[in-house]
Amino acid sequence: MSERSGAPEASGGQSVSEPEASVLEVRDLVVDFRQRGGVSLRAVDHVSFRIKQGQTVALVGESGSGKSTVVRAVGQLVRASGGTVLLGGRPAGRRGRGLRAYRKRVQLIFQDPFASLNPMHTVRHHLARPIMMLHPGHSRARLDEDVTALLRSVNLTPPDEIARKYPHELSGGQRQRVAIARALASGPDVLLADEPVSMLDVSIRLEILSLLDRLKRERNLALLYVTHDLATARHFSAEIMVMYRGEIVERGPADDVILNSAHPYTRLLAAAAPDPSLSREQLAAARKARQRARAARAGRSAEYREAALGDGCRFRLRCPDAMDVCVRRPPDVAVGAGHRALCWLHDPKAAVMTRG
Amino acid sequence: MTGGTGDTAPADVILRAAHVSVEYSARRPTRAVRDVSLELRRGAVLGVAGESGCGKSTLAYALARLLRPPARMTGGSVEFTPAGGQPVDVLALEGEELRRFRWNKVSMVFQSAMNALNPVTSIGRQFSDIFAAHRPGMDSAARGRRARELLEMVGIDPERIHGFPHELSGGMRQRVVIAMALALEPELVIMDEPTTALDVVVQREILDEVERLREELGFSVIFITHDLSLLLEVSDWLAVMYAGQIVEYAPAGEVGAAPAHPYTAALLASFPDMRGERRELRGIPGTPPDLREDLAGCPYQPRCRFAFEPCGGVTPVPVPVAGRAGGWLAACHLHDPRFGARGLPASARPRPAAGSAGRPAGEEVPVAGGEG
Repeated sequence: MSERSGAPEASGGQSVSEPEASVLEVRDLVVDFRQRGGVSLRAVDHVSFRIKQGQTVALVGESGSGKSTVVRAVGQLVRASGGTVLLGGRPAGRRGRGLRAYRKRVQLIFQDPFASLNPMHTVRHHLARPIMMLHPGHSRARLDEDVTALLRSVNLTPPDEIARKYPHELSGGQRQRVAIARALASGPDVLLADEPVSMLDVSIRLEILSLLDRLKRERNLALLYVTHDLATARHFSAEIMVMYRGEIVERGPADDVILNSAHPYTRLLAAAAPDPSLSREQLAAARKARQRARAARAGRSAEYREAALGDGCRFRLRCPDAMDVCVRRPPDVAVGAGHRALCWLHDPKAAVMTRG
Repeated sequence: MTGGTGDTAPADVILRAAHVSVEYSARRPTRAVRDVSLELRRGAVLGVAGESGCGKSTLAYALARLLRPPARMTGGSVEFTPAGGQPVDVLALEGEELRRFRWNKVSMVFQSAMNALNPVTSIGRQFSDIFAAHRPGMDSAARGRRARELLEMVGIDPERIHGFPHELSGGMRQRVVIAMALALEPELVIMDEPTTALDVVVQREILDEVERLREELGFSVIFITHDLSLLLEVSDWLAVMYAGQIVEYAPAGEVGAAPAHPYTAALLASFPDMRGERRELRGIPGTPPDLREDLAGCPYQPRCRFAFEPCGGVTPVPVPVAGRAGGWLAACHLHDPRFGARGLPASARPRPAAGSAGRPAGEEVPVAGGEG
């Protein structure tokens, strides 16, 4: 079930070695949103990553970190302000036939299965349409066959009965399975799944994630799993990228990022998640420590906060390890095999500068 | 460990509900809460866990007398005992008495902070409204003072009193809602998914805050959420609901490592351990039953890996779990002496536990500061 990547492969976006391995490659993606008053907000700031066939890469972060915008930009639902997306080594089509071809190969799954299906149409209609687009010559019988096969592949049985239903007649989990089946209908190479289980009941989340995991293996898909949940990110992905305010601040093999986090933000996220292995005493001690850390930082001057608005580390106002040097742009440092962090803590020069 | 439901001494219990049932009337009524009994010790936190549709919110509304038609209570009793006072029959309260009971004695925090606050009036005005309704003797200066005090208590700049809800982030708004719930110093606060819409870091910060306030002010809490892993940390006792019933009632510090009910075990297994060994992860196949139906036998039986002969026909009632803390109950035939009380097979444990008391505690405690 859980994926083990063999040799951890460098996922730093800058390197372009072995391009044949990655289906999807995103280089220096930038998305700016224009706001009222002409000021623009940079939601995604030079994000680069690659996903290989049969590989799951997780993108984690809080809401507002820009992770959904990455999905929407790569899925070409919003226009990127800069950067390149390569599919199978070729630049993604941006309009017309090229864009249609790209959309067939790159499919999206959204958080809300209630909103992503049309209440006026049956399940069959949702699945038959993309098949018809792909194979205009298919007979009705052949279409039905394909719809049935799709429903079986996502474990929706009996398929004939499900095909006749409308979205409101299905549970949330069943709806999300339909959304997944629809995404598969065009025979994609890449699935972009944006919080695919966040709106579902706890007991069915793992079923849906396991389904995605199986489909990824069976169909050799490249899967981008966007989530705020570190635990499932670790269990279902080979690599994890952690996003904070538009930037990837840490990336690497899933176990390294979670068990051996290098960036203080990742550590903060990990510490905030409930941990059933802790005793009552450990929980109470952790809580007191958090309260002390907060109290210590509350006293920092407004001036310090102001100064932070330059181009230094975006996390430093919340960072328990912030140093003077953090007002300068943090370096992208290798902290292990394929494991990188955007943080001064891991830069040998910074230690000299601040403490020396 | 506080809490407990045993029939031992009439301990300091603030709220006692017995055999509460709630129905949503319709041609085929939905029996959303079925014969639920629970007990909350003064100063303790009772966690109520369950998935959507299990009746947990309906139960909370019933306890606070907030049900509106088509929901109606069809049976049971709710008894509230104020500090140093006599037990009050909550279901018999009417008019002014009922109004005083709500907010003064019991207050509620709902899930979406965004919807609980009025977008067109200032935050100060919303505090004022509470005091105007419930503390008519307070003059406007005193109301303002108290509002500032409350905001400060939940970590918000008192100057925000002039601000409007939309100027605040989701986390800040939820803090305001908590401040409002505490405005009249209630003895019991019912929190229904209070942090579900928030990010993990903000959620953790707010929970820390609630814990600190509870230590300071001593109110009791009923904490309702689908997030069982979170409840294990914040509660003293835990009630797990399924299909309108409490299927397990257990000390929160122990149930994580050794659940008694198969549903609790399966629900626990649905939360992968972030730092634990990689293992096969499975949810719970199937769906909960339709609560409009009459449920014969155990409602969880169709999804249960351990169902045996009586489960299809005999409806389980809460029975004490052998060898566990007093008051630990499970509504499961595996624990019923009538059917041999064989207990939950070890294979159902969420983790292949080393011993019974959970994992060795030698691991590093993750500690980090919250939001600055």
